Amino acid sequence: MKNISIQLKLNGVRRTLEVEPSDVLLDVLRDKLGVKSPKVGCDRGDCGSCTVFMNGKTVRSCLVLAVEADGADVVTLEGISKNGPTRLQKEFVKRNSFQCGFCAPGVILSAEEALKKHPRASDEEIKEHIAGNLCRCTGYKPILDAIKTVASGKASK
Amino acid sequence: MQKLSQKLEELTVPPISVGPAGGHRVVGKSVERIDGWEKVSGAAKFLEDLDFGPNLLYAALVESPVAHAKIKKIDVRDALKVPGVVKVVTGKDFPYKFGLYMKDRYVFAYDRVRFVGEQVAAVIAWSPKAALRGAAKVKVDYEELPIVLDPVRAIEKNATLIHPDLGNYPHVPWFFPKADTNIAHWRKTRKGDWEKGFREADAVLEDTYFVPRYAHCAIEVHAAVGLYDMSGRLTVWTASQSPFTQRNVFAEALAPLGISHKDVRVITPYVGGGFGGKAGVSMEIIGAALAMTVKGHPVKVLWNRAQEFCNTYQRQGVVAKIKMGVKKNGKITALEHSLYWDAGAYVEYGANVVNAAGLSATNPYRVDNVKIDSICIYTNLPPGGPYRGFGYSEFSFGIESHVTRMAQKIGLDPVEFRRRNHIKEGDTLPYGAHMNPNGLRESIDKVAAEIMWGSKAKSDDPKKAVGKSLVLFWKSPAMPPNAASSAFLKFNEDGSINILISGMEIGQGLLTAMAQIASEILSVPVAKIRVETPDTDRNPYEWQTVGSHVTWGCGNAVKKAALDARDQIFELVQRALHLEKDTLYLEDERVKCRTKPDFELSFASFVIAGIQTEDHTFKGGPIMGRGVFMPEFASAIGDPETGQGGHPNVHYTTGAAGLILEVDKETGKMKIRKVALAVDVGKAINPDLIRGQVVGGLLQGFATVLYEDMRYSEKGKLLNPNFSDYKIPTSLDVPEEIVPIIVEVPQPDGPFGARGVGEHTMIPTASLVANAVEDALGVRIKSMPITAEKVALTVSKG
Amino acid sequence: MPIAHEFDYHKPKTLPEAVKLLAEYRGKAKPLAGGTDLIVWLKGGLEKPEAVVDIKALRELGRIVWKKDEALIGALITFSELIDNADVRKKLPVLWEASRTVASVGVRNRATLAGNICSAVPSLDSAPALLVYDAVVHLQGPRGKRQMPLKDFFMGPKKTALAPGELVTGVAVRIPKKKSGGCYAKLGRYAGEDLAQVGLAVLALADNTYRVAHCAVGPVARRAEKIEGLLNGKRLSDILLEEAVRLVDKEISPISDIRSSKEYRLHMTKVMLRRALWAAVNRLAGSGPVAGSSLI
Repeated sequence: MKNISIQLKLNGVRRTLEVEPSDVLLDVLRDKLGVKSPKVGCDRGDCGSCTVFMNGKTVRSCLVLAVEADGADVVTLEGISKNGPTRLQKEFVKRNSFQCGFCAPGVILSAEEALKKHPRASDEEIKEHIAGNLCRCTGYKPILDAIKTVASGKASK
Repeated sequence: MQKLSQKLEELTVPPISVGPAGGHRVVGKSVERIDGWEKVSGAAKFLEDLDFGPNLLYAALVESPVAHAKIKKIDVRDALKVPGVVKVVTGKDFPYKFGLYMKDRYVFAYDRVRFVGEQVAAVIAWSPKAALRGAAKVKVDYEELPIVLDPVRAIEKNATLIHPDLGNYPHVPWFFPKADTNIAHWRKTRKGDWEKGFREADAVLEDTYFVPRYAHCAIEVHAAVGLYDMSGRLTVWTASQSPFTQRNVFAEALAPLGISHKDVRVITPYVGGGFGGKAGVSMEIIGAALAMTVKGHPVKVLWNRAQEFCNTYQRQGVVAKIKMGVKKNGKITALEHSLYWDAGAYVEYGANVVNAAGLSATNPYRVDNVKIDSICIYTNLPPGGPYRGFGYSEFSFGIESHVTRMAQKIGLDPVEFRRRNHIKEGDTLPYGAHMNPNGLRESIDKVAAEIMWGSKAKSDDPKKAVGKSLVLFWKSPAMPPNAASSAFLKFNEDGSINILISGMEIGQGLLTAMAQIASEILSVPVAKIRVETPDTDRNPYEWQTVGSHVTWGCGNAVKKAALDARDQIFELVQRALHLEKDTLYLEDERVKCRTKPDFELSFASFVIAGIQTEDHTFKGGPIMGRGVFMPEFASAIGDPETGQGGHPNVHYTTGAAGLILEVDKETGKMKIRKVALAVDVGKAINPDLIRGQVVGGLLQGFATVLYEDMRYSEKGKLLNPNFSDYKIPTSLDVPEEIVPIIVEVPQPDGPFGARGVGEHTMIPTASLVANAVEDALGVRIKSMPITAEKVALTVSKG
Repeated sequence: MPIAHEFDYHKPKTLPEAVKLLAEYRGKAKPLAGGTDLIVWLKGGLEKPEAVVDIKALRELGRIVWKKDEALIGALITFSELIDNADVRKKLPVLWEASRTVASVGVRNRATLAGNICSAVPSLDSAPALLVYDAVVHLQGPRGKRQMPLKDFFMGPKKTALAPGELVTGVAVRIPKKKSGGCYAKLGRYAGEDLAQVGLAVLALADNTYRVAHCAVGPVARRAEKIEGLLNGKRLSDILLEEAVRLVDKEISPISDIRSSKEYRLHMTKVMLRRALWAAVNRLAGSGPVAGSSLI
């Protein structure tokens, strides 16, 4: 069970580190790479709190071995607003979309993916994309309303 | 009723006029949350996001696989041989009891286990993996005992005793445990002559309702990190709604080890959802206790999702027996309400839920003849405790189902029945005190109009039926009579403000509401006010963030702190510049004077540096406000046999909710077409955040009736400790239309008239669905949850 | 939650290399594609392999190969790739519809169709859809390549016909020769992600033949042959449908579990059979519910 050296691009920066084969990407991101926005929620793919982009698609980082990320391009919430807040982030703040905020990183990445795929996403497409991100506080409505506003092109830039 | 209002007013702060023109600057406005960007950017730190350095140790738990047993032997030798394992700790290391309202628990099971999943030992190691490997090697010999899972059977004569020493447990004076039984507390509330009331009734209805256990399911799990440093002080980082209560419990529990309150520090960053589950002390005691065994090392205890389900507080199950009598004209003549609570293995917090329900199980109706028995019963299931609604969510299902059925029985419209019986300001409460001002009638009327009560709704699809319902709710903060809040308010050089409180931000928006209150009084924009989560070393006392009371309690403290700061400013300006303080007011971050329109003094110029006078000396210094609030009119002591005489509840928040529900007669699937909820918040400090509570609380409540429930095996093992089988709603499961309605009948002793609203929005949901299903299909379901399966099978059986 | 169990990790570059590695571990190595099941099992200690063989470098498994009457879906094809593939939507609409009911987007971005059938749980959403398209599993192992109809692949709950060291390399799906209409109806406890309590795939073909398959109402997913036998050659009518519904009791053997009672599964299979058959027939006729919409 020897350690394996991996290299990945994390939020645009090349990082090299040693991992054990049994290390999970979520734990490595948080504990070894210092990126804290992906959260530990259910640890089995049900809640979506650990969502990150891996090679352009959202994945459950709790269900990815760290070694699998060797050579991958990983983007977390910290990475998407490097050049200032996105339209979605602005709209979420404006609408007080989140309460405790624990699910926010995962929800925001899923929403970004939804809009990347469907820039004019329908209400159903939005719900479908967010359905894997559990939120216990908000009843989802203020989250969905913000995404709809951006999808309809009505959000302020 | 003016008298009551006046009385309450006298007890608290004097009314203030705000700004030269009166009216509110920022209270009542839907400002953006002050923690909004922090949470949306990923910067917000939750407990698990804090780093503790390379000295950090990790703990893994050894848990009981059986529901009731004596611990014969614990063999830790193999565990200690696992590479990376530092130490194994068992119950014998901490032979001390603890608990919030009743000391009935040990840190680790001491000589017996009482529920599946109970902590028996902890393995401390250099890595989480090593800790888990070590925990797998601990061998425990159990001698199994008979188990009892059903509360009604647990009070039968020959039931196995879960706590044979119950008679010796210390508890608060308002609990009444019965030694040598499984009854941990029995709250009796008696008013009038209920037997006479039933005799005078034209109709009497008696029935039983069943409510199972539920889980909070905050997305953030519980965690605690303890550090007992080389100087002998204990710091515990927790994900908690109750840092000061935790400090108190830790200090009391660990006092035999030479710890005192000043040596204990609790630091609580943002909390990823609470809902009552992170109130009090549950697993956090383990983090505090383990730290004492590895001096100099921080040690982390992080629950996994299954532990989160099995070993924190759960919402208690209840069997509710209700008997109600009414006159033909609709007047309720008598109510008997017996609540048998499945409180679990330890009731140190849960017994207070039982207590709260026992005081208020009439729901917001005026009933002259009342007999309530709320009985807290030990069972071999995980400890029960607080969950949004604190007993009211639980009993509301039965009582509001029953009220609708009672109306039907005498042929009266259920809404008209409620209009005739709802409680009014000044009415006598079940325990003898008087009802506070409230907007219940306005709430009923607005909700009835919103759901077009009286007109029958139909579906275009012949397979579907549509039902409507309207129910009432109320709830009071369940708190000790001397639960206090306090606040410090500090100005900075640029005139910005830091507010220190220990009310917790658990998502509800407390920090924002507190900033708005201070902003209102001091004219400093919300954006220039920072309010942060507590550290008990730095921040002043708050009892707990529970019971929907912090907007009210902590809000009063912040308001007083702001007024204190304002008074200091006025005093200073009078002293340094010789302006009469009665002529001064604050506007746009400046001191202004009514008699000298040209005068203005910016806060930034003096709130730290002071005011320079003609002789070049400085007067003043840093402006720091201080505010303390305690409801000095409250008392928990009444007659044990009747509950009469005390003033245990500070006030009630009331409201009404209405539902339009579409039901597929074949599949039983239900769709919420529309839900409206009106709640009297006294004064909406931030209407947008209140609407957030309505929308979120409703979905959490609907989930308890439509999808969720905790399922146990006959051996007391939880069968669905995960989100694959404990189904909390997703974005695809939201109601089609939600209408939050804010009603404002001011609470005389609330900040700007505000009272709390967090829990209330969850309370009415179960009975809404039960009553609407009956309206749609004519079938009455008396046990929760009301799943599609239950509806379809009830209909298909006819 | 860490994985306490230790194992070796390999990422072979070629299929023969992968097969050789799996053989060397004599069944004690687990192939890893999307990992959405495997990693849950590793965390829970339900699987304790000596090695994990990551097959994601095997490019030949990452394709859908289209022939005239068949699509060979490589073992690395994820549910998201199926859903986003216009040909799948057009030519294999039942598989497309079923794929959309699997878990959630973030899981579907990694979870593979092949991995899904290897889990062989009774509630497998993809199975009824694959069964109505007469899917064939392509396998490669120490003894070479072989193919097996999917219906023979499922041996029991969580049991497959995979030999030790054998790898699923793809799933071949037959594109119906005749015009067809189909649907996948799923009973979950709510609209959000759930494991099926009843899953029902129906394919109605232009020659009045029907294919019906189910999951979660028996130990393995399978075709409803008695019902198909009754329906085949006939135009669907309400009277015919009721005859078919009467066969449901003989066709399925549901159990009661935490997700649903046996009684409700039986009841719902009947309700869903009515709705799904009509939806399939109407879709064949060019009407019917919008693709992807829930039928219950």
